[in-house]
Amino acid sequence: MALLDWLDERTGIRSATRLMLEEDVPGGARLRYVFGSVLVFLFMQQVVLGILLAFYYSPSATDAWASTAYLNDQVTSGWFLRGLHHHGSSAMVVVVVLHLLQVVIAGAYRKPREVNWWTGLLMGAIVLAFALTGYLLPWDQKGYWATQVATGIMGSVPGGEPLQQFVQGGPEYGNLTLTRFFALHVFVLPIALAGLLGVHLLLFRKHGVTPPDLPEAELKRMTQPFWPNQLFLDVLAMAVCAAVLVGLTVTTHGAELFAPADPASNFVARPEWYFLFLFQLLKYFQGPLTIVATVLLPGAAAAYLFALPFVDRAKSRAVRSRWSVLTGVGLLMAGVTALTAVAIVEDGNNESFQHGVEQAHAEATRARELAREGVSPVGGVAVFDNDPEQKTRNLFKEHCASCHTLEGKGAEEAPVLDGFTSREWLAALVRNPRDRRFYGATKHNTMEPLTTEAASDEELAAVVEYLISLSGASAAASVDAAMVARGKELWDKKLECSSCHELEAGKDSTGPTLAGRGSPAWVARIISDSGQKDLYGDTAEMPKFAGKLTPEQIDALAQFVTSRGAR
Amino acid sequence: MSPGAGGEPDGGRRAVLKLGIGALGLGLAAVPAAPAIGYLLFPSGSKGGEAAFLPAGKRSALAGATPVRVDLYADKVDAWNKTPDVKLGSCWVLERDGALHAFSTVCPHLGCAVDFDAEAQKFKCPCHRSAFGLDGSVEAGPSPRPLDSLEIKEQDGLVAIRLVRYRQGVADKEPV
Repeated sequence: MALLDWLDERTGIRSATRLMLEEDVPGGARLRYVFGSVLVFLFMQQVVLGILLAFYYSPSATDAWASTAYLNDQVTSGWFLRGLHHHGSSAMVVVVVLHLLQVVIAGAYRKPREVNWWTGLLMGAIVLAFALTGYLLPWDQKGYWATQVATGIMGSVPGGEPLQQFVQGGPEYGNLTLTRFFALHVFVLPIALAGLLGVHLLLFRKHGVTPPDLPEAELKRMTQPFWPNQLFLDVLAMAVCAAVLVGLTVTTHGAELFAPADPASNFVARPEWYFLFLFQLLKYFQGPLTIVATVLLPGAAAAYLFALPFVDRAKSRAVRSRWSVLTGVGLLMAGVTALTAVAIVEDGNNESFQHGVEQAHAEATRARELAREGVSPVGGVAVFDNDPEQKTRNLFKEHCASCHTLEGKGAEEAPVLDGFTSREWLAALVRNPRDRRFYGATKHNTMEPLTTEAASDEELAAVVEYLISLSGASAAASVDAAMVARGKELWDKKLECSSCHELEAGKDSTGPTLAGRGSPAWVARIISDSGQKDLYGDTAEMPKFAGKLTPEQIDALAQFVTSRGAR
Repeated sequence: MSPGAGGEPDGGRRAVLKLGIGALGLGLAAVPAAPAIGYLLFPSGSKGGEAAFLPAGKRSALAGATPVRVDLYADKVDAWNKTPDVKLGSCWVLERDGALHAFSTVCPHLGCAVDFDAEAQKFKCPCHRSAFGLDGSVEAGPSPRPLDSLEIKEQDGLVAIRLVRYRQGVADKEPV
């Protein structure tokens, strides 16, 4: 205690604590006074959690998603702290509404507490602004698209465009949008809220609680001290709230993180649940009437709440005498609840929406799995480059697409690879090898076309079937045996293909060997060195990739080309 | 709580309430604070995987008694980012008695980049004047140990070097 005496002598800490805690609660401690304290607690918890999140989060369009995925999926307890912050924002919205309803029912907005009421409403608006700005920060699909709608609304309002450009940092989303939302969420809004909270609390201390409508003497008789009676109830309520939050966070395993924001995708955008009523309202007002849902109705509701101290002309705080005000606020709440419910039910019955959600979840899981390897500094969507197939596609783009077309993309300087293992492709090649689709643009445009006089379409089909049967075990399983036999006979006896093409690998020939033609191994040999004697020999123009690419990369490319080429 | 429960507060009941406030308050603080410990300590204590051999070029290009500075590249994972083909560091490579030797360019003293002085035939640190012989031994200055030699591997005419960083300022060569 000597230390405390020493400190008190120099700081007056005892009297300061006494000043904070010693306050009479006329009429006694009550559970319905707890909401304000619970909000203070939630705000403080959000601040602590927010600071913790900032230890890992990086607010740039290229880093935001990857750093959030890292924080959430790799950092010890990251999912829990982020989940608590996410659900904490929902809890704040819920408790703000409860607090507001309690104040309305008690008539605490009335003279002399009008300024208290207004600062409270402003803080409520700030809580919603927190939710809106925080939502975008992970830069995932849901945050990106939901926030697009919000800023889009801003821009559609007459005169709202400059504001939209300001918060977005320009005409479209990017780094500046994130840094602005981050600055708002982390600095501007918390400071604004803390300032208003200070005023709100000072005014609360000035006016005290709004006690039950009882005679003065009775209230006095029932008076209890804030410390510890009311504070115990407050802390108990905080504990219940915290327990619910922890339970929610654990059962949902934290907050959802969708795939990285992709401006080129079509995502099923929905706002967070507490904005669903606005989203639903928007469905009823279209075209020139949109402004009714975006500005007029919400604005009227806000104005009504702000004007409540003047709207209420009743002589006393008694509930009986204030039925009109209570009905007004009640209708407002009922409207919001009904719109929210309709939005949820409509989405529940909307199959394409449900399908979209399913896809979004699958994509999110995939992206987060791939993110564990690390994401290229190019940005969030580059996480999909970790996908082995995408890596190979990028290899194709880099090394092959300047001559070959695959999946409809690339040049036509060399054979188009779309469908190149198919019967149709082979048949068309044999009929017209010098077409640009095949070898027309290459040095290997030496093959003579097989005319319909030399072989009928039916005969050609049999030969093609025979060639398919040579291309490897998987292809051989799908062939028509009778046609293969017919094709072999034609090959051996009638046609002159074998003067250029061998059916065994390793033999010198003018045209490429057809042993294993179209199989991954055959393609891999061509990629490695197409100038081998049993392949394209002197007419080979394609660069040798052995040495340039690793054997694994060549095999992956061969697999990719054969599997895509079959489509 | 019933309105009449208060009135004259009795000492015992108030003490219980105060105790309750303290206990619940501690619990509330622990909800974010307890997980925050592991969260903030992440990822210290985790050892990176064993360093891989990185390609250093052709054997023929590194022949000769004059040290050649070789930059080593590999994919780098930094927290959430994976950057392909980043310069991770460099080393001095020279041939002595027919065998290749590689030394880290990081001065064992305080980590400045060691240069080669062709005239003096010595490695010299520009910061605190440590000087090292061609075998890496300390010849002058404050360095507590010789230049850190790095493992080297030759295959098919290609050279690969295992880039490892060692603790600075101590006499023993300990990887960090």
